[in-house]
Amino acid sequence: MIRFPRFLHLLALLPVLLILGGCPGRSEAPAAVHRSRILMGTVIEITAYGPEQKPLERAVGQAFAEMARIENLMTPHQPQSDVAHLSAADGPLQVSPETAAVIAAGLKVGAASDGAFDMGLGRLKDLWDIEGEHPRIPGAEELRAALVGTGAGDLRLAGRTVTKRDPRLLVDLGGIAKGYAVDRAIAVLQAAGVKHAAVNAGGDIRLLGGRGDRPWKIGIQHPRRKDAILATLELANTAVVTSGDYERFFERDGVRYHHLFDPKTGQPARLCRSVTIVAPEAMLADALATAVFVLGPVAGPELLQRFPGCEGLIVAADGSTVTTPGLAGKVTWR
Amino acid sequence: MALKGAWRRTRPLDRLLVALLLILCGVLLVWLRPGPPGSRVVVEREGTVIFTAPLDVERTVELAGRLGPTRLAIRQGSVCILDSPCPRKICIGMGSITRTGELLACVPNGLLVRIDGGPGVQPSEPAYDLLSR
Repeated sequence: MIRFPRFLHLLALLPVLLILGGCPGRSEAPAAVHRSRILMGTVIEITAYGPEQKPLERAVGQAFAEMARIENLMTPHQPQSDVAHLSAADGPLQVSPETAAVIAAGLKVGAASDGAFDMGLGRLKDLWDIEGEHPRIPGAEELRAALVGTGAGDLRLAGRTVTKRDPRLLVDLGGIAKGYAVDRAIAVLQAAGVKHAAVNAGGDIRLLGGRGDRPWKIGIQHPRRKDAILATLELANTAVVTSGDYERFFERDGVRYHHLFDPKTGQPARLCRSVTIVAPEAMLADALATAVFVLGPVAGPELLQRFPGCEGLIVAADGSTVTTPGLAGKVTWR
Repeated sequence: MALKGAWRRTRPLDRLLVALLLILCGVLLVWLRPGPPGSRVVVEREGTVIFTAPLDVERTVELAGRLGPTRLAIRQGSVCILDSPCPRKICIGMGSITRTGELLACVPNGLLVRIDGGPGVQPSEPAYDLLSR
């Protein structure tokens, strides 16, 4: 048998120790989990960083489960959901505390925006069918009929009880529920001890902490160039939501018909190409993005002044851009 | 059998040494893993750059080597050698490369093909982490 002198054993240890100790970036790198799942009609991506892989995996799994629970509660496509019950109701209806909280937040944005955000546009949405297989341009009479009962006061909330002004009103929480689900996912991650994470639900983003020791870089989709970004924002501990006329649309005779409707006319809103809102919560950012899109580049920033901590980056219909003062120094144009 | 016998004759410190060497191999495998996707192909002959092009523009080029022309194809972000005057065609058999730092070499024809991040490109720093749309 070959016997190595003892010091040779120690010498053999040396390269191992050098490699393990000399690469702090690798040996001390935190665990990272990046998972995607299709929920709420979009791809949900959750990224989380932490000291250990397994607890992170568990937390991310719980966050997805929470989002699936919110979807079951607020989708119009499942007959047992709060929203489906509410649309079918012909009188006051008690909903879950969470649905009530989302409706309360939506009503607040609706009131502050003079009705630019309206959760009673389900019939209008069905009429245009922009997200469906047979999108079409409705006639004036059809539009008028679809708007009956909508507008200020179409939904009233007392505690957990919701009353529709018109029993035919179809409730649509599409402009706010996804944001709420993102907020809940972040809350679940936080409760599990995660300190650095991002939840991205098809562009509705909420950030927990930074991306390690630096802020997250959020790319903002260019509204007219599919593969380009308009700008990047460096952010942490906040929510970012973009609404644009390029997401779901069809064109007829050179006119673009998209899914963000002006509740007053029933037509796609025409003052903006895209609106990005930075807000403390994704639910609020979600609703404000729609409202500001409808209000346009002049009235939109005025609305944001009424919501502390909320900022906006607006691309107007003519391609010009407006940013609110709170984003100064955070935007890098591309 | 001989290996089994040799292993039985080792002492704990010998086994520790073997274990550490295995760990070392594992660490090196991770450390030397392929880089991020590249953006440019660079071809050198005898230490001089004779051709460079972006990886996202498809093309086929002929480059003069010691023995004759080597035909190179850039397709779908990768580069491969299609034809070469070298006798054993090993360079053709090396397939495609796509990632920063990867190499194709035709020793007889004196050509070295490598993938670069390109000027100004920081592969480890993407333009953004998440896209809001």
